Amino acid sequence: MIPGNKLLELAYQLFSRIKDTDFEYIYKGGFSQKMSKKILALAESNVKKSVDRTAMRNRIYFIMIEGLQNVTKHQDNDTDSYEEEGMFAIQKNKDKYYVTTGNVINKDNELILRPKLEQINLLDKTQLKKVYKDILLNSELSEKGGAGLGLVEMARKSGNRLLYNFEPVDKDKSFFYFRTEIPNNASNDSSIPSINDEKSVNDIKEVEGRLNNENIVINFNGKFTRDNILSFLSIIKGHMTTTKSSKKVYNIMVEMLQNISKHTNDIEGDRKNRGIFFLSKKEDQLILTSGNYMQNSHVEYLKNKLKETNNKSLKELHKSYNDVLMDFATPDAQKTGLGFIDIRIKSEKQLNYNFKKIDDEVTFFALQTSIYTDD
Amino acid sequence: MEPLIIQATEDTPEVYFNPEESIFKFSKSSLPENAIEFYRPILSWLKAYQSEANETTIFDFDIEYLNTASSKQIFEVIMLINGISETSDVTVRWHYDVIDEDMLGLGTRFSHLVKVNFEFVEYENDDLDI
Repeated sequence: MIPGNKLLELAYQLFSRIKDTDFEYIYKGGFSQKMSKKILALAESNVKKSVDRTAMRNRIYFIMIEGLQNVTKHQDNDTDSYEEEGMFAIQKNKDKYYVTTGNVINKDNELILRPKLEQINLLDKTQLKKVYKDILLNSELSEKGGAGLGLVEMARKSGNRLLYNFEPVDKDKSFFYFRTEIPNNASNDSSIPSINDEKSVNDIKEVEGRLNNENIVINFNGKFTRDNILSFLSIIKGHMTTTKSSKKVYNIMVEMLQNISKHTNDIEGDRKNRGIFFLSKKEDQLILTSGNYMQNSHVEYLKNKLKETNNKSLKELHKSYNDVLMDFATPDAQKTGLGFIDIRIKSEKQLNYNFKKIDDEVTFFALQTSIYTDD
Repeated sequence: MEPLIIQATEDTPEVYFNPEESIFKFSKSSLPENAIEFYRPILSWLKAYQSEANETTIFDFDIEYLNTASSKQIFEVIMLINGISETSDVTVRWHYDVIDEDMLGLGTRFSHLVKVNFEFVEYENDDLDI
């Protein structure tokens, strides 16, 4: 039986969780400065596409940068190890952007942070402005460089309460979720709108929990345009040390991501370019799963290509690869199924896949392969 | 003959073909979704070069990442290089990262499909900051 079936199903569940106009991008792992930059690049390229107003964009950038810096700053690791697990998520729906960070902190820090957050959340916009000025003028900075200025600024820029949750890890440590909601239409009203704090934080915790269950380290759910694909690939590069298997993973990812783009390019409206991709770990394997819409009219052809490719021995695959190269009448490799052949050769595994008909126009196509890691 | 120089972008390689300096080189990564369009001027240039080729020509392929759309186009390039080897003493130098068995595999595949001479050059990439 195909081992990845659960993940193919999960691909659809996560994919259909959000609307076609929205996006969701979640990263879990180490947060070096280099990594933060790359994460930011992908987040930025998504925000740029979906926000027209510069002021709004800058507000979102500010909150993302501040959030990422908080993770690296608060990341309480004695060894300064790169592997320290944290979380960053940016999500967008019709009304709002959501930036969420998560990281492990010491209980001592929780005791300092909690009252600061509580205090900030009691203030309205005018009071926040005053507190901001006060801190700027006369605060002595705390050891870690945080006088709460960043938090106050985030509250001001978002125009919303700061959402947070401390999940106990053990007796000394907590996992600190920190979430900011940024409304698409900021009002001039000085009051802070009330949000259902618990529900908002639980939403992201719920998704994160599902990713955790399957050991998913990175999940991108949205539009697979050229820019997004390139930013995404650069994150993957930053995520991995250069090893035999990471080269393979990268190469296969290129094919899978471009496959999404190819299959979704001729779809009309909001569904154009819409897909999902995630990377998960299982024992000594890295599993790559993609999912996307495709036109119903292409399904039969693709099914046959996949069957044909899966039924071939490695030797036959090599021969097919050469045949495609020598087929000068078809210069466009995208029309030849070379991508599938290539993935099969590199992974030396059968391709797992699933088709799920959505309506008269499109089908959801999920594809999966895996690579043994050598480190 | 005018050299052909194309700057690299995030998803297309750097191309430096200069007969006067005897340098013919591909470097960086080739990942464009529309590879045909990118390789069209390169193929035209090589066709023109065949009739006025240098006595010897060494083509360096020093490519880090290659998608399948590009691998099909690179093979077209190699077919033309194969043609050039009728009028010039041609070598293809295929560079590959020591840990990248797939890149070595692709070069080997190409070399088996044409007559032109291939040399394989292994390098060690200790630059983790990619």
